[in-house]
Amino acid sequence: MAPRQIWTLYIHEVRSALRERSILIGSIVIPLVMYPALLWAGFAGFSFVQGQADRLTSHVAVHGLPDTHRALVDSIESNGRTVVVRWDDDPAAARDEVARGSLDLLVEFRTVSDGDRTLDDNFQATLYYNGAQDRSRGARSRVESAIESYRQGWIDTARRDLDIPNPVWADFAMARSDVATIEESTRFLLAMIVPFLTLIMVALAAFYPAIDATAGERERSTWETLMTLAVPRSHVATAKYLYVATFGAMGGLLNLAALTLSLRWILQPLAGADAQELAQGGLPLETLPIIALGTALLGLFVAAGMLVFAIFARNFKEGQSMITPFYLVIILPAIFVQSPDIEFSVGLALLPVVNVALLLREAIMGSIPLLPGLLTLASMAACVAVAVGFAQWVMRNEEVLLGSSKGGLWSFLKRRIGQWRTTA
Amino acid sequence: MSNAHGGATKDTANGPPVRTQGLTKIFYDENRGEVRAVDRVDLTCQRGEILGLLGANGAGKTTTLRMLSTVLQPTAGRAWVMGHEVRSEPERVRASLGFYSASTALYPKITPRETLRFFARMNRYPSRQVDDRVEELVHRFKIEDYADTRVEKLSSGMKQKVSIARTVVHDPPVLIFDEPTVALDVLNAIELRQFISRLRGEGKAILFSTHIMSEAEQLCDRIAIIHHGEILATGTLDELREATGLHYLEEIFVHYAQVDDPAQAAEEQLR
Repeated sequence: MAPRQIWTLYIHEVRSALRERSILIGSIVIPLVMYPALLWAGFAGFSFVQGQADRLTSHVAVHGLPDTHRALVDSIESNGRTVVVRWDDDPAAARDEVARGSLDLLVEFRTVSDGDRTLDDNFQATLYYNGAQDRSRGARSRVESAIESYRQGWIDTARRDLDIPNPVWADFAMARSDVATIEESTRFLLAMIVPFLTLIMVALAAFYPAIDATAGERERSTWETLMTLAVPRSHVATAKYLYVATFGAMGGLLNLAALTLSLRWILQPLAGADAQELAQGGLPLETLPIIALGTALLGLFVAAGMLVFAIFARNFKEGQSMITPFYLVIILPAIFVQSPDIEFSVGLALLPVVNVALLLREAIMGSIPLLPGLLTLASMAACVAVAVGFAQWVMRNEEVLLGSSKGGLWSFLKRRIGQWRTTA
Repeated sequence: MSNAHGGATKDTANGPPVRTQGLTKIFYDENRGEVRAVDRVDLTCQRGEILGLLGANGAGKTTTLRMLSTVLQPTAGRAWVMGHEVRSEPERVRASLGFYSASTALYPKITPRETLRFFARMNRYPSRQVDDRVEELVHRFKIEDYADTRVEKLSSGMKQKVSIARTVVHDPPVLIFDEPTVALDVLNAIELRQFISRLRGEGKAILFSTHIMSEAEQLCDRIAIIHHGEILATGTLDELREATGLHYLEEIFVHYAQVDDPAQAAEEQLR
């Protein structure tokens, strides 16, 4: 009888929720479209900004350029988007112009001479730019690369003139090579961001259902109707809990599916061949069951926590303000888990939310330590059992039941402790 | 004895379907301290009888009915519905009664047909007969035209019909109506009273709370006058007239409540 009653209650909750626009958006639409929308918007936005920056003409003043290096001006202007003017007046005035934004950059040349140890016509260039102006930073970047290129050419010429062979010149040259495959690098990147985003999505997807299942009932005046059903209150609490957990876990799983599909179907066509390997290095298939389990665990935990806080709310506004601190508290630790230096230790495996975030991270990286994994399961199961038991106990309280309880969880606990002390 | 719920009721042939004995409810209020909302209430309600609970706002009517429907637990005393004790067998008590009040609204996102099906199932109506019972009520309450429209889109009159159908969908032997006409217009209130009269004809035991004297006069077989949580008198209208020597129920109520200044009494009640 009990499973059937809980199932009927659960289906009733889910059916109502699927017809509620705010829940549909928060729990299904956002997790599904967030990645495609973000990737598309990010890529399009980046392309647009870069295009705009490329079209900008930089106005650069040069002061004190040695005659032997006149060719440098041509080098700077060679990109077709930089106009160079010679500044023979006081350079301080040009610096003021840069500060005001009427000039993008001042390049001040100073001859460097240190006897035999320097090449003839050596110079030092100081670039004065305005860090608060995007176009000034752009001009600096263009001129820096032009000077660097010119410098390299000048050094090569000097080397040849001095008859120094290239291998000698190239002593202490540095080269680098990444031994990780693109697939591994992508996994590393995903392992850093996916646990955090999954947690956000699970919490977001459970947020409105948790309020709807508690404060929503009171606001609609259906709470008392529900309380007159011929079922134990614990069944009502269990069904509500399962409803919130389902939506939380569903949000997380939809989000992961959207991530995988977005990498393949959005990023790859947009970025072309460069992103082909990146797209193929999505979530490893063999770890999907563990990732799904972790997401489900997060859904179960977040739902239990949110219900415990929301159960005292008399309306949606109260519900939002009571759940929000819990929402923030569970998200904050996950930010720190993004650091690759943090190990999935036995101690951290006992810490709710952090443990699942680490489990997800390890699963995406392709290795799951057995003991911390099992401890994560045990720890989360214990937390969920305590939270659901607490919610069931609270639902037996008449003040809470009738919505006459003032304040939230802490006020309730304070009153209960006070009553218990008086009785004792 | 068994009913439609497959044995949810005990043998009550020798006793009334509803009985309370010294039923008391005390609330603790931060400002007022101990508040005795219901004080040693003794009541019975027989089959085919409408028992009216008549009292001013805050007299203890709703608290009494909430204890009978197991929404609240009594602080002291006992109560039985169809032989089931409210504290020890709350689910059986709830399966034996239908509860209707202004604060028992319908779910806005589901349809009347889904509503009736849900409440029938949850209140232990035999699962094989649920669909037939739902269609019977859809026909009886003439809600065919909007049976598959979401409740949120219905007018208040339509909602009222669905709400009453929801209350009786599991065919409970006991019905509780807590100030049911308080938010209704005149025509809907008349329709509801007629329906409650018909339920009496079907042998249901009905508890009907109101603060409207004319309503109690028209509808109730017996009237219990409740004031400050205490039952001051119980009887038929004729018995109450005979006992007080007064004709109008309003006068009888004022007599029992010993209210010299109704305005002052109303203010006290609010406090």
